[in-house]
Amino acid sequence: MAYSEKVIEHYENPKNVGTLDQNDPSVGTGLVGAPACGDVMRLQIKVNEAGVIEDARFKTFGCGSAIASSSLATEWIKGKTVDEAFAIKNSQIAEELSLPPVKIHCSVLAEDAIKSAIEDYRRKRAAREAAAREQGNS
Amino acid sequence: MTDPFDVLGIEPRFRLDLESVGARHRDLSRALHPDRYVGRPANERRLALSRAIEVNQAFGIVRDPVRRAQALLARHGVSVPEGSEPPAEPTFLMRMLELREELAALVATKDVSALERFIERAEADEAGAVEALAAGFAELERRAEPPPEITGELVRRLGELRYYRRLLGEARAARDEIE
Repeated sequence: MAYSEKVIEHYENPKNVGTLDQNDPSVGTGLVGAPACGDVMRLQIKVNEAGVIEDARFKTFGCGSAIASSSLATEWIKGKTVDEAFAIKNSQIAEELSLPPVKIHCSVLAEDAIKSAIEDYRRKRAAREAAAREQGNS
Repeated sequence: MTDPFDVLGIEPRFRLDLESVGARHRDLSRALHPDRYVGRPANERRLALSRAIEVNQAFGIVRDPVRRAQALLARHGVSVPEGSEPPAEPTFLMRMLELREELAALVATKDVSALERFIERAEADEAGAVEALAAGFAELERRAEPPPEITGELVRRLGELRYYRRLLGEARAARDEIE
């Protein structure tokens, strides 16, 4: 199958590959997979005090489209607020990369990964705030 | 798509004696062979040919654990189209990611014997996933009306088998490339 130029560009020169410290309270980690093809994708975000994603990293084991989708996703969410990033739709990723119908699930995976990372970050923040309140009350 | 178990005339079970299913496939294929239809009317020849194709496809499905599981689930009204699978357990995904990272590191060092050991372990994991699926189907087959939890659990186990398949496929491809 022919990959679009943008997919090949991201595949050969992926942006933001790597890991962030999972234990850092300002880091959210999303781990998602696609059972149909066995792809695994980890996407991490580092959020600053203003709620802006200042860094994003990914590690994807899968086909070119899955790698390109996660590479593009990290590019797009950097500099966005958490809420803006949460609103990114897989269709936007698929359109940008001209993914064929059989590869749409790769963009779905990337959207799920963004959301899962944000949810992890929010969970951590809520837990931290609850702990802080607890501290304040005692 | 016609049910492959019906096409082959065999019991719809996950645990199969593949040798006897193979023999059944050979018998059916022989009976439907074009040589046996020489001189017969065109519509009979066409029918025999399409039946032969169906028998071949059915055998292909039934002997592959993943496709066999899908066909069995379909008999229970559960279809699992691509992209609609329930997400895997986080701990499973974590383990898969670790295995993928380990594989990537082995490929980078081009250590064939370590890669062979990795493949052996992955094969054992795959066999374990097939066994888990078989145990789940045995449970399903014992019940007249299986509750949705059972089929849901089977879909999850099927997903895990697919992950191991994919992992093994890549590990073997990497080994073949290095060798």
